[in-house]
Order: sequence, then C-alpha cells, then structure tokens
Amino acid sequence: MITLNVNGTARQVDADPATPLLYVLRDDLALNGAKFGCGLGQCGACTVMIDGAAAYSCLMPIALVGQRPVKTVEGLGSVDKPGILQQAFIDEQAAQCGYCIAGMIMRAQALLERQPNPSDAEIRREMAPNLCRCGTHMRILRAVRRAADTMRGVAVASPVASR
Amino acid sequence: MAVVGLLVLLALAWHRTLPATSVVPVAFDAAVVERGADLAALGNCASCHTARDGQPYAGGVPLATGFGTLHGTNITPERETGIGDWSEAAFVRAMREGVARDGSQLYPAFPYDHFGRIADDDLRALYAFVMTRDPVHAANVANDLRFPFGFRPLVAGWNLLFLRRAAFQQDPGRSVEWNRGAYLADALGHCSGCHAPRNALGAEKTGRGLAGGEAEGWTVPALDARSPSPLPWTVEQLTEYLRTGITHDHAMAAGPMQEVVTSLARAPADDVRAIAVYVQSQTGAATPARQARAEGAMRRASLGPLARVRADTGAAAPSGVDPELLRLGESVYQGACAGCHDLGRAVSSSGALRLPLAVAVYDPDPRSLLRIVRQGIAPGPAQPGRWMPAFGTMLTDGQLVALLAYLRSSAADAPPWPDLARHVRETKAAP
Repeated sequence: MITLNVNGTARQVDADPATPLLYVLRDDLALNGAKFGCGLGQCGACTVMIDGAAAYSCLMPIALVGQRPVKTVEGLGSVDKPGILQQAFIDEQAAQCGYCIAGMIMRAQALLERQPNPSDAEIRREMAPNLCRCGTHMRILRAVRRAADTMRGVAVASPVASR
Repeated sequence: MAVVGLLVLLALAWHRTLPATSVVPVAFDAAVVERGADLAALGNCASCHTARDGQPYAGGVPLATGFGTLHGTNITPERETGIGDWSEAAFVRAMREGVARDGSQLYPAFPYDHFGRIADDDLRALYAFVMTRDPVHAANVANDLRFPFGFRPLVAGWNLLFLRRAAFQQDPGRSVEWNRGAYLADALGHCSGCHAPRNALGAEKTGRGLAGGEAEGWTVPALDARSPSPLPWTVEQLTEYLRTGITHDHAMAAGPMQEVVTSLARAPADDVRAIAVYVQSQTGAATPARQARAEGAMRRASLGPLARVRADTGAAAPSGVDPELLRLGESVYQGACAGCHDLGRAVSSSGALRLPLAVAVYDPDPRSLLRIVRQGIAPGPAQPGRWMPAFGTMLTDGQLVALLAYLRSSAADAPPWPDLARHVRETKAAP
C-alpha cells in the first residue's frame, strides 16, 4: 500500500510503485478531471499540482510523489460551488470539447499561487506547454486573466453568456 | 602610484565624441542592406539586442556575467534611445574598438574583440542593415555590475591587456570555403566567445581556440580534439545542426545555442556550410580512443531501452556510486524519460534521442544536462521547433541527483561527476 496526499486527504492505494500518478488518480481514486492525452508530457491534459507546482501526472510514478501534496481540479471546487478559476473558465466559456481544461486550470492555478498578478506575456509563457486542439486558447488566456483579477479584487467584465 | 595609474587609465579611456548625424541616414543600396541582414544573422546580433517579448534590436536583454548583469542595448536607428545619430565612422569605431559614439567604453560582453576582424565592406553592410531597421524608442536598461566594474574606464585597461587589433588572416593552405568559414566563425559568429575558456577578467584565453567554455550557466562543449560528442561530427551533420538545431544521432540545440541556430536559419546556406567545414576541421582526427568511445555509444544506443544497457554491462555499479542511488535514478528515468528516449528518433515524431548519443551526458560537468532536465527545451515565441517538457518542478533535488548519476553511468558509461549534488543545489537558484 502506498499513501498519497491528494486534495488534502491521505489516500491509500494498492498499486505498483511505478504506476503513473494519472492512472492512480483516475482508476483508483475516481478523480477523473485529469485526462490522458499523449502520455509523453507533450500536451498537458494530465496536469495536476504537486507541491504547489504544475506537473505532468502521466510522467510521475507514484513512488516519486512521496508525501508531497497533490492537488487536482476536483480540489479547487465543485459543480455547485466552483472555485475562482473554474468560475472564470465558465464565465469566459473557455471550454469547447473540454478535454484539456482540467490541465489548463491546474497549470493556471500553479501560476496564480506563485504569481498573483501575472502579465499577459507571463500567462502566455506559463500556459505554453498545454495544448487545446479546439483552439480556444484566446478564451483560456482571458479566463486566466479574469481569475487573476477576481482574486485580487479587480473589477471584471460580465460573463460571456450574459453579454 | 595609484593616482598615476588612475590617470593613465583615464588617458587610455579618453576617446573623442564623434559628431552626431543630423538626420537618420536612410539612403542605402537595397543589395547592401540585404547583405547586412545576412551578416547580422551570421553574427547573431539579435540574441543580445532583441528581448524575449521585445521589438527587434531594441535591446533590454539581460546577460548574466561573472561581474554582474549587463543589458544589451537598443541598436535601432532611433535618435534618443538608439543609435539613430551614429555616423558610419562611429559605428565602425564601436565595432572595432568598443567605444560608443559619445566616447565611452563599451563592455567586452559586446564582442568587439571579434568584430574588429570583420572586413570593411561587411561593416558597411551591417551599418546599412541596422540603420534601416524600424526605429524603436526604448531606453536602455541600466547594468547591474559589482564594484568596481561599473566604472567604464577600467575597460581601457582590459583592452590594453587583451584586445588584439590584428586583421583576419587567410590560410593559403586551406580551401576558399574553409577560409570563409574561419572568417565567419571568428570575426562575425564569435563562436569562441562561448566555446573557449575565459580568464579571471573575462577575456578569452589566448591559444585555446574552441576548447570549450561556459555561457549563462551552461557548459559549452569543446569543438576541438576535446569535443565530448560521442560520435564525431561530419560536415553534413554540423551544417544541418547549425541551420535547424537538430541532426540525426546528435543532441539538439538548447540554452544559448538555440538562439544561435534560430539566427543561422536565416543566414545563407553556403555560409553556414562554410562554418561547418571550418568547425569540423577543428574537431581533430579520429584517434583510437575516440573510435572506441563512438563504438561504445553506438552499441549502447542500439540496445534500445536504457534498462538493457545496465543489464548488458552486468549492472555493476561503478566504484564510489551507491547502487541504491542508481536504482532510484532508473525509476525516475523509467517513469519520466523512457517513454520518449527509449524509442529513439527514428520510430515516430514523439521519439527522442537515445541518451547514449546525447552530448550532455558526456560533458565534463552536469550543468547543461541539469538545465535541460529542469527547463526542458522549448522553441522561442512564434518559433517552430522541438519540445521537451520541463521537469524542474516535478522532481525533487534527490531525484534529480539520482537521475543524473544513473544517466552518467548507464548512458555515458563514464565516471561519476564530482559535485553533482552541489550543481543541483546551485542551478536551482539560477533556473
């Protein structure tokens, strides 16, 4: 048995220590936000946070995670009570098919925890490893900006759906 | 005595202010401007004079040196903040002697110790090129140098000690192409600026050619007989590498070299090939020792999965290496690296170089490999290019040490790097 610290809770999993964190999150812990995209660290769909930083969960054997805290998109909020970033993605209608979004949100979360007031250029640079095949990148960038502004108490535009 | 010394220094550092031009000179022959563009690409001016998110040639690029941080300046033809009021004579003096139009000393991070050997015609073409760029109003960023290096007249003393004012010498015993390459590599490309060691005062050590050096925290491989490359370079491979940043069976460009290949991609193909001809000639003969190293690397690469290399060599840990460390390193490699690097480049677009062929695992120290693992490799903004994910925030220091110890042992079959743990700590502070 290996103990992982996921979204603030100690979770026991019965898996080979070489199993990628992504498989354990999805198959053992039913946390299906993070997605399998390429399995090579090239798309970012599997991005979660480990110890406060964005990490490709597909390239991370659970043995190497150790006791470092893991945060997934489920740790930011729920359908009834979305977190600030999740709400910003809804308000900007930043998802099309949605497959990349959990990874996008977690990379953005790591950025905003480290740098609450990023420039637009910083947001672009930080988000560059995560790909969206539908092409909603511009909305995603707006959503991250919106979340940053909301967290800092700066006024934001009304949600896209009501414009 | 100190007073006399200071006076001598100030006398040496005194240069007259050259008159400002009254208008930005614009009447240049288009063909000359075009040639200047090629030369600017060969000299990689943009790397120091174009900031990451900035306008072309408007400066602001930080350059970390052992003396503090310098910033590349605005060389657009803007009159207030750029060099719009520089005459051709002022430009030529700056390139040859490292003196700005106002008479102040420039720092030798600007490689006038190389540019002094650029031919007159080529300097004229470069002047035509910079003076026809879009003028950008962008104030220069102040340098942040340790005391006493902020005092520019000191550079006059440096010049007295280290600046050689000799023109480029052709070698009549070599081909026209070789001589062209030698000229481009030395005078314009200033390759030895990074590929040669520097002394305590930051001057290239004389007579050390391309013996390897460092740049911005990266280990810069030697290009002479000390080249750490496991397989000897051919002219064709070097040409391809310089133009694209990648070539079969060799590592791809990373760190400061990425900017060089991005720039050379815009240079004339014949000129880049000439540089390759020259550089390849410096890498020396195929000695039996190099032959054996190449065969070893090929054999290890041909085994495919790196795990097989350890099995193949009997899995005996080299003396002084903790087998437990290698086991941890192998588990990091298996989890994070093998998915791409065990495949090799030939299999698919996601296949990456098998690491027994990667130069960085053979380097004399682990700094470049550490930086590649930490930062990954990403093309510049709006540039196409290869991608390697960054693992810096995913792996702990202990896991990084283990991974690099494992790669050094299995991929390179080389003795452990001394001070690996120290390098891991130090590169963390300077990502």
